[in-house]
Amino acid sequence: MIEGRYFYPHATRFVAARASAASGMLRVEALDGSLLNEAPAKSLRLSPALGRLPARLSLGDGSHFESDDRAGIESLRRELKLRAPGGLLHRIERSWRGITLAVLATAALSYGFVAFGVPFIARKLAEATPPSIAVAMSRQTMQILDGRALAPSALKPKDRARLEALFRKVSAHEPRGAGGYTLLMRRGPGVGANAFALPDGSVVVTDALYALAKNDEEIEGVLAHEMSHVNHAHGLQRVYQASMIPAAIALLTGDVSQVSQMATVLPGILVQSAYSRNFEQQADDDAAAILRAMGAKPSRLGDLLLRLEEVHCHKGGCAPSWLGSHPETAARVERLRQETGK
Amino acid sequence: MSGEHEAAVESGAARSYPFQFEGTGGEYFGIWIVNLALTVVTLGIYSAWATVRTRRYFRGNMVLAGHAFDYHASPVRILIGRAIAFVLLLGYNISLNFSPYALLVWIPAFLIAVPWLIVSSLRFNARNTSYRNVRFNFTGTLGGAAKAYIFWPLIAMLSGGFLMPLARRVRDYYHINNHSFGGRPFETEFTGWQIYSRFLIAFAMWIALMVAFFTFIAVSAKFMPHGKAVSPNDIAIMAPLILMIAFLEIGFIVVGIATMAMIYNLALGHTVLDGRHRLRCRLNPLVLAWVVITNTLLTLATLGLFYPWAQVRYTRYFLGRMALEATSDLDEFTSEAFGTQSAVGEEIAGFFDLGIGL
Repeated sequence: MIEGRYFYPHATRFVAARASAASGMLRVEALDGSLLNEAPAKSLRLSPALGRLPARLSLGDGSHFESDDRAGIESLRRELKLRAPGGLLHRIERSWRGITLAVLATAALSYGFVAFGVPFIARKLAEATPPSIAVAMSRQTMQILDGRALAPSALKPKDRARLEALFRKVSAHEPRGAGGYTLLMRRGPGVGANAFALPDGSVVVTDALYALAKNDEEIEGVLAHEMSHVNHAHGLQRVYQASMIPAAIALLTGDVSQVSQMATVLPGILVQSAYSRNFEQQADDDAAAILRAMGAKPSRLGDLLLRLEEVHCHKGGCAPSWLGSHPETAARVERLRQETGK
Repeated sequence: MSGEHEAAVESGAARSYPFQFEGTGGEYFGIWIVNLALTVVTLGIYSAWATVRTRRYFRGNMVLAGHAFDYHASPVRILIGRAIAFVLLLGYNISLNFSPYALLVWIPAFLIAVPWLIVSSLRFNARNTSYRNVRFNFTGTLGGAAKAYIFWPLIAMLSGGFLMPLARRVRDYYHINNHSFGGRPFETEFTGWQIYSRFLIAFAMWIALMVAFFTFIAVSAKFMPHGKAVSPNDIAIMAPLILMIAFLEIGFIVVGIATMAMIYNLALGHTVLDGRHRLRCRLNPLVLAWVVITNTLLTLATLGLFYPWAQVRYTRYFLGRMALEATSDLDEFTSEAFGTQSAVGEEIAGFFDLGIGL
């Protein structure tokens, strides 16, 4: 006999009741022993077990029997040979082994997805993106920058010619060949010494960066670094990565409560800067290889990076490397020095 | 008239039933982490089943007058809704990264999609929620959603925020007054002054924050060495400034949450069911802010593991501050509501009702 409550068919009315099983039938009776309802096992349906929620047995005619006596319901279920929906889930949710396994599986798979899944999908998507889209995207970016952050270069013709010659020399060693890249010279008062690549093969170099470089090899190093970004379509990959992370977080948490909103912004930023650091490292390695192929020292790029950091960090203060889009300069320089020794 | 009504409430004819939340963080942790693991393993597909399980847990542990609420949604509908939302979100992000002009295409699409998503999501959740076998319903229209979520926010923006309280009231009316329980309507009503006064309090808190911040800046500037450029690497000077900015940021969040609490108190506290049973909502704005902020910090500090406790703690506090003041027997009322429910038609969610989780 299991104590519980009987709810009349399609009504809100209920009475205290007891349930028992006899010869394949469920019998529900009032506390005075009078029969309230009975039903054969095949028309019974048990609600999925969840937390400490009362078990609910639907009798099939709109009425149900509800009880907090989980153990009693379980023996009743065995006797009547009823299905136990969600029974396995319920057991896992309450066992320490199950929970530990779930924590580990979630951590391992999330890490795998973030570390390998997203970069892999982004790379495949970037490879499949038609060049016309990359061209349109780059053109729009330049349009926006030219109006605001960037102005035409003020370099002397002599310096322009030198930069163009270096650009041709480096691009001849690159997979796309001399015609695959476009040099754009700009002056950016707010941007300072900087260089960046766009997906269509444009490489923007600011006057300040040109002025900061002390020799040809330093400039070659920067150009090779930016061309590597072009070769691997890092710009496109970044777009796909940045689009996947918020959608994945929304899918995982599935709710937009205040807690999850605030708590998911920071991890998103951290993950994206980690991707960006990987791209920078790849570009550094490629640049080192190209410099060596041209008979130059990869460490020269490191010299320029050190000077760049000095200039930039004096102005705005540098973010710690785990938050930044670029690896720590000291580590980059050390890596480039090792490349030189090879 | 209303004076007489008030008197009846005062004389003790009404009985107050507090809401209770009986879920626990430890129990929900197991449910949550298993949900999460299965969602990751199935690349997100299980998230629909996870959502149903989570909602059933939260509704099932929400107790009023000795009876729990219940949730009946089909995971497949939620899966369809999720898939649509996921594709939209992905497409939006990708296209916007390619070209800022893509926004021009998305704006009209959103103008149509947003009201539809809101209506179908609210209706889905209401119709799948029940209390003692009696279902809730949501009968808001697309036009109403467009008014509450697009037209009025736009007006509020164009007025420089001056009409924001009224826009908020339109939204609360739309939400609450379109809900019903067994065909018996929920209704809320409050004056423009009441909502404006809440926003004025928020504004005053905001001003006080700014005054405190700029006083600090002015005072500390006096102690700064003059004639020397301040280096951002100088910890002694930068640390207090960064602390103050953090203080200001948290202050803004506190003001935001406290404002939400005052609005909940107002809108829910003035809600009447079937013209006779009154909801009570007495959130303490500062306590709610404390709960949300400490929840967020603990969730971040534990790499997300605190999240289930945070959810339970928030729900427990929120529901613990709510009550239903019934002017007639609640048992009888639910029976009556059950009767009218079949007259209204116990519709299950229609084909276009999708659970998005708004």
